[in-house]
Amino acid sequence: MADYVQLAPDELLERIARTLKKEIGPAVEAAYPKTQAFMAAVVLQKLAGQLRLADDHAAASQRDLQELTEELSQLAASNAIPAPLAEALRTLRHDLDAASVSRLIETLYATRSELGEERFNSLIRRVRTRLRARVDREMVYAA
Amino acid sequence: MTQQAPDDQAMAERIRQYIETQLPDASDLRLEAMERIAVGWSHETWLFDAHWTEGGVSKTRGLCLRRDPGNALLRHFSDLGVQFQVLRSLEATPLPTPKPYWYESDTSILGKPFLVMEKVAGTCPSPWGSAGRRFYAEAAARGTLPKSFTAALASLHSIDWEAAGLSFLGVPESDNDFALREVQKWCELVEISQQEPHPILIDLIGWLKANAPETKRLTLVHGAYRTGNLLIDNDQISAVLDWELQVIGDPMYDVAYVLTDLNREGSALLSHLVERDAFFREYEQATGIEIDEKVCQYYGMLYQLRSAAFWMSAAGLYASGQSDDIRLARTAWSVPFVLEGAARALGY
Repeated sequence: MADYVQLAPDELLERIARTLKKEIGPAVEAAYPKTQAFMAAVVLQKLAGQLRLADDHAAASQRDLQELTEELSQLAASNAIPAPLAEALRTLRHDLDAASVSRLIETLYATRSELGEERFNSLIRRVRTRLRARVDREMVYAA
Repeated sequence: MTQQAPDDQAMAERIRQYIETQLPDASDLRLEAMERIAVGWSHETWLFDAHWTEGGVSKTRGLCLRRDPGNALLRHFSDLGVQFQVLRSLEATPLPTPKPYWYESDTSILGKPFLVMEKVAGTCPSPWGSAGRRFYAEAAARGTLPKSFTAALASLHSIDWEAAGLSFLGVPESDNDFALREVQKWCELVEISQQEPHPILIDLIGWLKANAPETKRLTLVHGAYRTGNLLIDNDQISAVLDWELQVIGDPMYDVAYVLTDLNREGSALLSHLVERDAFFREYEQATGIEIDEKVCQYYGMLYQLRSAAFWMSAAGLYASGQSDDIRLARTAWSVPFVLEGAARALGY
């Protein structure tokens, strides 16, 4: 499609959203399809925003997870950690994705008593700092 | 808002034929003022007035029919048969609720299970629009409706649920069983949504499981007590609606929902209507239950999980092709807002 439409995909979505909002929506009389037309415009606008930022956000997420892995590995190296946590950390190092972070968090809670409160808090705080950055990025296009 | 559906007329006739079977002594039955209304995203709702002659006497009854569309948002938790049974159980209590008339699980009648109940007098302004917010702001200034809001919740929490026959809803064990059951319920909805949960949600679930509070007393819990789920007539709550999430559990679960920011969009008034101090004072006086703010904070975080599960489920319905309602697709972008709130609450 990009070869034939002289607009970037996000701009094309924005353009269609404007048409829905300014021309199609107002021309529809029945309440339900009218709402659907306006809602479709909202969805396309949000999608456009998400698409525009997708590459930057993906790169930032990868950087964050890489740094998180290094931080946690250092902390783990200074003092032995429970085997399931070490395994979750290895998985994260191998797969820098959200599912691996989720598994790591689950394992942190599962091994909490073994870790002790101080270490648990120290580890989860580092994870949370990175997740804070991630949700802040998501809020940019969700708002 | 009235919806336009091509099969409305045919549906009206099928409803009329059904009502006729339920009123064997009636003649000249006709349904008037029929409208299909868009309330929430769960069940389809029709309002109408039935007029008939019986023993030479003209009769009229306002009715509300709710049909299960089969792809409703809370379809896994909200069974119309259960709703009917709950309304039956509440009939003899002081809580204002619609009188239930008939429930049919036979899908040959209207295509899907449905229930018919009383059309109670009143309006149900949505607090999410400017007109609704204006309505509640003006009612708050007059002062009667906020008192009625609190009194109805106090009445709900004062019901002898065992005597009313509501034990069928399931009774939690002692300690923190109620909170853990709710966490589990919303985790199941996340799973059903078939969307990968965000790591913040995993953190929230871990925190909720580790901090589940003990339930000090069990009451009937509505599960979604707020403006928009309450019918209002002449500045009084004329009916408590939306019996979809009710449980036997901790009354603080409902109180937390009243206190949460989720239902007031920045308004200083709880649920856009009630002044916080007055709510505390009147609720505690009417129930004899002291509001435990720490427990309410916990349930406030549980509502973050519930909201995320709700929006993920909604977006999942659209993504999987089970619904074509674009409003559901829109909810995918509501999830980050809830997660951001959860992150703040967890101290991120």
